[in-house]
Amino acid sequence: MSSILTDIDLDTMLLLLPEILMLLGIVTMILIPNLGDATMRIPLTRTRVPILIGGTRSEYNNDPRLPNLIACGVLGLALLASIVFLGEEGDVGNALHVNEFSRLFTLLFTSALLLAALATSTRMPARPKATPPLDSDSDEIVDSKVAALIDNRRQVDFHILLLTTGLGMSLMAMATNLFMLFVCLELASLSSYVLVAFHKESDVGGEAGMKYFMVGSVVSAIGIYGMSLLYLWNGSLDMADLASAWSAMEGNDSLAIVGVGLMMVAFGFKVGAAPFHLAVPDAYSGASSPIAGLLATASKAMGFVALIRLLLIVTMPPSGQAIWMLSIALIAVLTMTWGNLAALTSDNPKRILAYSSVAHAGYMLAAMAAIGSGLADPSTSSMIVTAVVFHLLVLVLFKFGAFLVLSMLEAEGKGHRIEDLHGLVRREPVIGVAMFVFMLSLAGVPPLSGFLSKLLMINGIVSVSAGTGAVTSTTVVDWAGGVDPLFWLAVAIVVNSALSLFYYLRIGLVMFFESPESDSGLSKAPSLRLAIFACAFLTLLFGIGPMSEWLLDVVTSAVDTMMGL
Amino acid sequence: MITLLPLFAGLLMLILTQVLPNTQAEGMARISRNISMGIALAVAVITTLLFIGHWGSIDWTNITQGGYVLQNDAIDLIPSIGVTWKVGADALSFPMIWLTTVLIPISMLVEWNAKRGHLFHPLLLVMEGALLGVFVVLDLFVFYVFWELTLIPMFLLILMWGGEDRRYAAMKFFIYTFAASVIMLVGILVMYFHTDPIAGLGSLTGHHFDLVAMTAQNNLIPSEGLRHLVWLMLLIGFATKMPSVPVHTWLPDAHVQAPTAGSMLLAGVMLKMGAYGFLRVAVTIFPESTIEFIPLLLVLGMASLVYGAWVCMGQTNLKRMVAYSSVSHMGLIFLGIATMQPLGIAGALFMMFAHGIISPLLFAVAGAFKHHYHTLEIGSMRGIAHHSPWLAAHMMLGWMASLGLPLLAGFVAEVAIMIAFWMTFGWLVLLPALTLIITAVYYLSSMQRTIFESNDPEKGILPDTMHDEEPRDITWHENAGMLVLAAMTVLFGIMPFIFWDMMSDWSSGFTVETLIDAMHSQEWMP
Repeated sequence: MSSILTDIDLDTMLLLLPEILMLLGIVTMILIPNLGDATMRIPLTRTRVPILIGGTRSEYNNDPRLPNLIACGVLGLALLASIVFLGEEGDVGNALHVNEFSRLFTLLFTSALLLAALATSTRMPARPKATPPLDSDSDEIVDSKVAALIDNRRQVDFHILLLTTGLGMSLMAMATNLFMLFVCLELASLSSYVLVAFHKESDVGGEAGMKYFMVGSVVSAIGIYGMSLLYLWNGSLDMADLASAWSAMEGNDSLAIVGVGLMMVAFGFKVGAAPFHLAVPDAYSGASSPIAGLLATASKAMGFVALIRLLLIVTMPPSGQAIWMLSIALIAVLTMTWGNLAALTSDNPKRILAYSSVAHAGYMLAAMAAIGSGLADPSTSSMIVTAVVFHLLVLVLFKFGAFLVLSMLEAEGKGHRIEDLHGLVRREPVIGVAMFVFMLSLAGVPPLSGFLSKLLMINGIVSVSAGTGAVTSTTVVDWAGGVDPLFWLAVAIVVNSALSLFYYLRIGLVMFFESPESDSGLSKAPSLRLAIFACAFLTLLFGIGPMSEWLLDVVTSAVDTMMGL
Repeated sequence: MITLLPLFAGLLMLILTQVLPNTQAEGMARISRNISMGIALAVAVITTLLFIGHWGSIDWTNITQGGYVLQNDAIDLIPSIGVTWKVGADALSFPMIWLTTVLIPISMLVEWNAKRGHLFHPLLLVMEGALLGVFVVLDLFVFYVFWELTLIPMFLLILMWGGEDRRYAAMKFFIYTFAASVIMLVGILVMYFHTDPIAGLGSLTGHHFDLVAMTAQNNLIPSEGLRHLVWLMLLIGFATKMPSVPVHTWLPDAHVQAPTAGSMLLAGVMLKMGAYGFLRVAVTIFPESTIEFIPLLLVLGMASLVYGAWVCMGQTNLKRMVAYSSVSHMGLIFLGIATMQPLGIAGALFMMFAHGIISPLLFAVAGAFKHHYHTLEIGSMRGIAHHSPWLAAHMMLGWMASLGLPLLAGFVAEVAIMIAFWMTFGWLVLLPALTLIITAVYYLSSMQRTIFESNDPEKGILPDTMHDEEPRDITWHENAGMLVLAAMTVLFGIMPFIFWDMMSDWSSGFTVETLIDAMHSQEWMP
C-alpha cells in the first residue's frame, strides 16, 4: 500500500479526482460547521488569538442547510469530474486501477448519492422528532421549527456518512486486489449501516439499522473468511494472480472453491440475492427513502462490481462451464421469483420497491449465469455484461426516482401504506405521472430504459442458448425439449416480468383511480421536484433515441476495457 | 414527421396548461381548442392532398418488396439493438391514416364545448399522433410503443370525461388491452430473436425490429411449433383490441362510459388497429400459421358476428347496442381474412374503413341523444323525429348504413365478404347472412319505436330524465360533424371505388405474393 503514497503526482491526482474531491468534501464538512470565535491564550502572555475551531458558531456555518449544500456541491463536482475524465486510464499503486469501467461506476455512485443528497436537503431535522417548516405555517411556528432545526450537527454527521459511502464505493470499483476491494466495500457498508439507522423519526429506523448491521457484519465475516482461504490457497490476493492460478488449477481445489463460494455469499448479500436478502426489505422500509434508494441502486451496483470481478475475472475458466454457473442460475431464479411473489403480497410501497429490487437482482444474476455457461463467445459475454451494467445505471434513474417520490410523501409522515399513494395524480399531476413512468420502467415497458436493459439481458441468454434448439421440430414441446436448459432462464425472466406487472400497475393504477385521503399538494421542495422530473425524463431519454445509443456505446466500450477485449 | 406533429403539439399544450396557474388554464381552453383544431385540420388536408395526388399513379400491389409510398429514409433510434424510425404507407395503412386524420377534427367538432377544453382537445391531438404512429411505422419496436401510447389518451379520456361508472370502465379497458399487448410483446420478442442481422443494425444484439426485413426474411421462425405459438400470441394481442369474442367484454363498458369523442375514436380507429396489426404482422409474416389456424379464425369471427348480433338485440342502452354491433362487424373482418380470397381480404379492408365512418356517426348520435335527452335508454322515448329532426335523420342514416343498406358504405364490404365466403366455404355462408338479416329486423324495429312511433303525434313520449325541459335539436357543431360523416357514408356507398380499387389491388398482390406459396406448402385450397 505504501506505493500509493509515494506515487502521488499530478497525473495520479487527476486520475483520482472524484475521490480527492470527496475526501476534500469530508474535510470541509468537518471543518466549516465547527469554525467559531474561540480564542486561545498564548502561554505566558495575556494575548488571546482566535483559533477558529470551537466556541460560538456564526449564523452562517450554523445553518442547517450548509452541510447539504456542501455535499451537493462536492458530489456534483465529483460527478462532473467522472464524466469529464471518463476515458482516463492508469494504475495507482498496485491495488487500484482506474479505467472507463471503474469511472462509469464512479459516475453511477456519485449520481445516486447526489440524488440522495438532493432529496435530503429539506428533511433532515436536528432532533429526531422535529419537523421542517411547511409553507402553510404561521411565522411563529416557522420560527420554532427553525429553532429545532438550527443545530446542524446532525446534518453534518449524515452528509459525512454519505461522502464516505461514496468514497468507499468509488475506490472499490477500481480495486484490483481482493483485499483492497473488501476494505473499500466495508468502508461503504459501515457508513450505510449507520445511514439506515439514521432515520430515527421512524419507529422502525433503529431496528432496521440494527438488523442490517447484524446480518451485514456476519456476512462480511463469512466473506473475509472465504478470502483468507483464497489467500491460503494462492498466497496473493491480486486478482490477476488469482485468475492465472485459477485457470492453471488442476481439477477442483476445494480450498479455492470453498473460498470463492463464501465470498459469493458476501457479495450476494450486497446485491440482495435470495436467500441472503432477508434483511433487505426491513432495511429499506426502515431507512428514510433516499437512503433506501441508495441501497437499492448504488449499494447493489457495488455488489455487482464485486461479483463481476470475482466471477468473470478471477474464476472464469478459459473454456467450458464455470463452476459457479449452476449455483448462480439457481440463485437467480430463486431470487426473482421470491422477490416478485413477496412484492405481490406486500402493502407497503417501500417494501414493494425493496422486493422489486430483489427481483431485479435476480434478472441480472440470470444474465451472468449465461456468461458462465461456457457457450458464450467473448463478444456475447461482453454484450451481457453491458446489459447488466446498463441496467445498473438506468436503475439509478427509475428505482431511485420512485424512492424520491416516496420521500416526498415521507416528508408529511406518510409513504408506508399503499393508501398514501391513492389519488396522487390528482393531488400532484407531474409527480404522479413521473411515478407512473418509474413503475412502467421497472416493469420493463417499452420505450422506457427499463425495457432496453431487460431486452439486452434476455437477448444475451437467448443468443447463448437458443441456437441449440431443435430447429425442425413441429411442436413447441419438441422444440423446447431440444434447447439448452439455460434458455429457461430467459423464460423465467419473462414470466417474472409478467408477474411483476401486477404490483407495479397496482401502484400505478391506485394513483389514478382511488380518491386521495387529502386534497392538498405535497411540500414544495423544489430541488427534490427537479430531481424527480430529471429522473423521469432521463428514464425516457435513455430508453429510446440517440441518448440511449450514446449510453450503450459508453457502457460497451467500458465493458470491453474491463474484459480486455 | 407529420405523425409527430400532432403528438408533440398536443403534449406541449398539455404541459403548458399544467404549468400555468388554474385561472389562466381555463382561459387557455379557447386558444388550445382552436390550435388543436387547426393542427388536426391541417393534417387532414395534408393526407387528403397526398391521397388525391397519389392515387392511380401508384402501384399499390407491391408489398413484400418494400413498396411503401411516403417512405422516408430510416432514422436510427437505437441502432445497436436494431431500432429505427422507419415509416411508410401502403394500401393497407393509407385508408386508415386518412380515416384517422379526418375523424379527429370531426370528433373535436362534435365535442366542441367539452368541459376542461384546455385538456380535452390537446388530448385528442395526442391520440391522433399515437394512432397515426401505429399505422405508419414499419419497425415493430416503435409500433409497439405507439400501440401502447394510444392507450394513455383513451384511458384519460374515459377517466376524466366519462360517465358515472368511468373508473371501472377505464380500469377494465386498461387491464384488458395492456395484458393482451404484453402477450403480444413476448411474441414480438421471439420474432426479434429470430431475425438475421442486417447491415448497420443490431451491432450489439445481432437482431433488429425492422418489419420490412422480417417480412422479407425467408421462414423467419423455422420451428413450426414455435411459429404457431408466436402467431397465437400475436392473435391474442390483436384480437383483444379488435375486439373479438371472448375477449370483447371491455368494449361495451368502455363505450358506454367514454365521452362522445372518445367513443367515436375508439370505435372508428382504435378497433381497426387490431385488424390492421393482425394483417400487417401476423398474416404477412406467418401466412402458413394463418392458414393452419383458419378454423380458429372462422370460429372467432363467426362467434363474434353471431354473438354480437344477438346480444345487440337484447340491449336497451343505445351506446351498448352500437358497441355490440361493432363486435359483430369486427367478426366479419375475421371471416373476410379467413376466406384467403383477394375479394374477402379487400372486403375486410373496406369493412375496416366503412365501419370507421359509420360507427363514429352512430356514437355521435348516441352522444347527442345523451346530451339533449339525458338518457341512453332506447325504449324511454318515442318520436324524436318530431322534436329533433336532424338527430333523427342522422340516427336513421347511421342505422341503415350499419345494417348494410345498398348504396351506403357498409353494404359494399358486407357483400364482398359474403361472396368471398361463399366462394371458399360454400353454404356455410348462410349463417353470417342470416345473422345480418336478423340484426336488420331488430334495428328496424327499434328505429321505428324511437324515431317515429308515438301516440300523440304532436309531442311523442319524452323520457323521464328530461323533467320539464323543452326538447331541442342538436347544436350546429354536432350537426356539422355528423353531416360530414353522413356525407362520407353516402359517398363511399355510391363510389366505393375511391378506396376499393387500391384495397383490392393490394389484396390481390398480397394473395399472390404471400398467401399462394403458403397455401401450397400447407396443401390448403379454397
